[in-house]
Amino acid sequence: MNLFTRYFRINLLATVVIFILASLAFYFLLWFVSIAQVDEDLRIEQREIETYVQKYNHPPEPISVKDQNTSFAVSEIRGKYRKFNTIPSPNPAERENFRQISFTLPVNNQWILFKVSKSLEETEHLNQSIIVISLITIVAILLVSLLINRWQLRRLWKPFYNTLSGVEKFRLGEKAIPHFADSPITEFNLLNTTISQFIRNADREYFLLKEFTENASHELQTPLAIVRSTLDVMMQDEKLSESQSQSLQAAYSAIQKMSRLNQSLLLLNKIENKQFSNIISFDFKTLVQEKMTDWQELWQGRNLSISSSLESAFVSMNEQLAEMMISNLFSNAARHTPEAGHIHIKLSARAFEISNSAADGPLDQDKLFKRFSAVGQTTDHFGLGLSIVKQIADVSGMNISYRFTNGDHIFSVYFKPAGV
Amino acid sequence: MKVLIIEDEKALSASIFAYLNSEQYICEIAADYHSAMTKIGQYDYACIILDINLPGGSGLDILKELKASKKAEGVLIISARNSLDDRLQGLNSGADDYLSKPFHLSELAARVAAIIRRKSFDGNNNLKFEELELDVFFKTVKVNDRIVDLTRKEYDLLLYFISNKNKVINKSAIAEHLWGDNMDMADSYDFIYTHIKNLRKKLMQAGARDYVKSVYGMGYKFTRS
Repeated sequence: MNLFTRYFRINLLATVVIFILASLAFYFLLWFVSIAQVDEDLRIEQREIETYVQKYNHPPEPISVKDQNTSFAVSEIRGKYRKFNTIPSPNPAERENFRQISFTLPVNNQWILFKVSKSLEETEHLNQSIIVISLITIVAILLVSLLINRWQLRRLWKPFYNTLSGVEKFRLGEKAIPHFADSPITEFNLLNTTISQFIRNADREYFLLKEFTENASHELQTPLAIVRSTLDVMMQDEKLSESQSQSLQAAYSAIQKMSRLNQSLLLLNKIENKQFSNIISFDFKTLVQEKMTDWQELWQGRNLSISSSLESAFVSMNEQLAEMMISNLFSNAARHTPEAGHIHIKLSARAFEISNSAADGPLDQDKLFKRFSAVGQTTDHFGLGLSIVKQIADVSGMNISYRFTNGDHIFSVYFKPAGV
Repeated sequence: MKVLIIEDEKALSASIFAYLNSEQYICEIAADYHSAMTKIGQYDYACIILDINLPGGSGLDILKELKASKKAEGVLIISARNSLDDRLQGLNSGADDYLSKPFHLSELAARVAAIIRRKSFDGNNNLKFEELELDVFFKTVKVNDRIVDLTRKEYDLLLYFISNKNKVINKSAIAEHLWGDNMDMADSYDFIYTHIKNLRKKLMQAGARDYVKSVYGMGYKFTRS
C-alpha cells in the first residue's frame, strides 16, 4: 500500500464518520426544533380553546381541516392534564405522522378532554430534504477532496519521488551523481541535501578505496617484475642442486600466481573504470569458435568430452572483453570439471551458455560472483575469474546467471536485446 | 648488436642485463632520463628497452626524441601501467612493441629478438641455428634444406627457444607465450610437454639433433651442448 492509498483510506473513513455523525446530530436537532415548533402551535390552539371556553362556556365546534384535527369528549381524568404525543395519521392512506396535544378543561362542571393534532408532513418533508442534501454534500465533498488530494498530493510529493528514482538509478562508482532539483518545500530540500551529501561521501570513499586498490596493484607490478626477473636469472645457474631448483620453482610458481592475481585485480579495476570503451558489433559465434580451438587441446589433455551447438549471435560490446569473458568461463568450466567429464557449449541469439559436469553439488549462488570466494574444490586459484565475467557482463549490459541441473553447473550469459 | 636498457629500478635492469648480455647482445644501462638521452645521442642501438616512468622525465618523451631524430632503433616499452592507453600511446608514438611488468625475461628476449629481426633491413628473413633454418616471414622451418611440417604452436615454440638459446625457460613462461595469459590453467603444464615432445620428434625425424633439454622441475633449455 503506498502512502497515498493509505492516506486516502484514513481520510475517507474519518470524513465519512464525521459526516454521518454530523448529519445524525443535525437531523435529530432539527427534528426536536420542529417538534417544539409544532408543540408551540398546539399550545396556541390550546389557549384559543381556553379563551373560547371561558367566553362562551361551551367547547367550540370541532373543525377538522386537512392538516389539523380537533375533537373533544368527556374526560375520564378529573383535573388538569396536558400531554403531547406523536400519533399515526387518522387517515390510514397517509403515511405521515401527526403531533397531538391532549388537555382537559372544566366546562359546565365537567372535565372535557380536548385533542388537537397537527400534521407533521411538512416537518418530515423538510427533514428528508435535509438528509438528502447532506448525503449529496457528503458524497460531493468526498469526491472533490479525493480528486484534489490525489492531484495535490501527487504534485506535492513529486520531488520526493524524483529523488527516489534518482537514488534508485545511482550506482556506486559511476561517474553520474544524481542531481536533485530544488523544491519549494523545506523538508524535501533537506532530504535532497542529506542524500546528496551521503552519496558524495559514499562515492568519495568508494573512489578512494578503488584508487587505493589500483595504486597498490600498480605499485606491486615493479617489485613483482624484479622478483620474477631475478628468479629468471637465478634459474640460469648450472650449478643449482636439485633441492635448490625445487625451492626456486616453488618461489617462481608463487610469484606467477601473485602476478596473475594482481593482473586480475587491475583488470577488474580497468573494467570498472570503463577503460574498454571501444564497442563494436560482431558475431559472438566466431569468437567462441576461435576460443574453442585454442582450448581444444587443453581440454583433451584432461580427457574432457566437449560438445557444442552454436548459432550466430550478433552482440555489441568490447571485443577484448568478450574474449576475456569466454576465456574465463572456459577456464572456469575446465577447472571444475572432474577428469573425463563433459562440457557443453551452447550459443543462441539470446544467450551464451556453458555447462559442465560437476564434481560436487550446486555452488553457492550468493558467493559465486564475489571476489576471492573460492567456491569449488580447487584451492590454488583466487576465484577472480567469475567476478571478472560478472563485471564484464555488467558493463556490457548483459545478465549472467547460474543454475544447477542434472548434476551440471550451467552458466548463462543473456545478451542485451537488440536495439536497446 | 647493442641493446640499451632504460630502467630506473636497478635490480630489474641488472636482471635484464644479466639475461640478455651474451655473445649476441652487448647491453648498456641508463637509469634516468638524462643519461638515457646522452647515450642515445652518442651511440646507435639495435634495440632500446624503455621504461615509461623515469626520474627526470617520461619515457614517452625519449621515444618522441628518437623518432624526431630519425633514428632506426627498435623500441620495446616496458611499463608497470598495464593500461590500454599507455599501450596505445606508446605504439602510436612509434614504439615497436609493448610489454607490461611483470614479464618473463624469456618473453622480453623473444620480443627484443623479434624487433631486431624486423628492423634489420638486409632482406634476410632467415634465422639460423646449426642445421635449423627458420623463415620468419613465411613461418617455415627447414632442416638441411628440407621443410619440416610444424604446427603453428610448434613453430612459435621453436622460435621462442631459438630467441632464448642456452637459457633455462620456465614452463609457465612457455605456457604464457603460447596461449596468452588468459589461459589460467593453474599448474597443469602437461599440454606444453606434448607440444615439446612433438616438436623434438619432428625435428629429429627430419635429421636435426636434439637441442631441447629438460631442466629438472623448472622448464626447458635449448642448447647445442
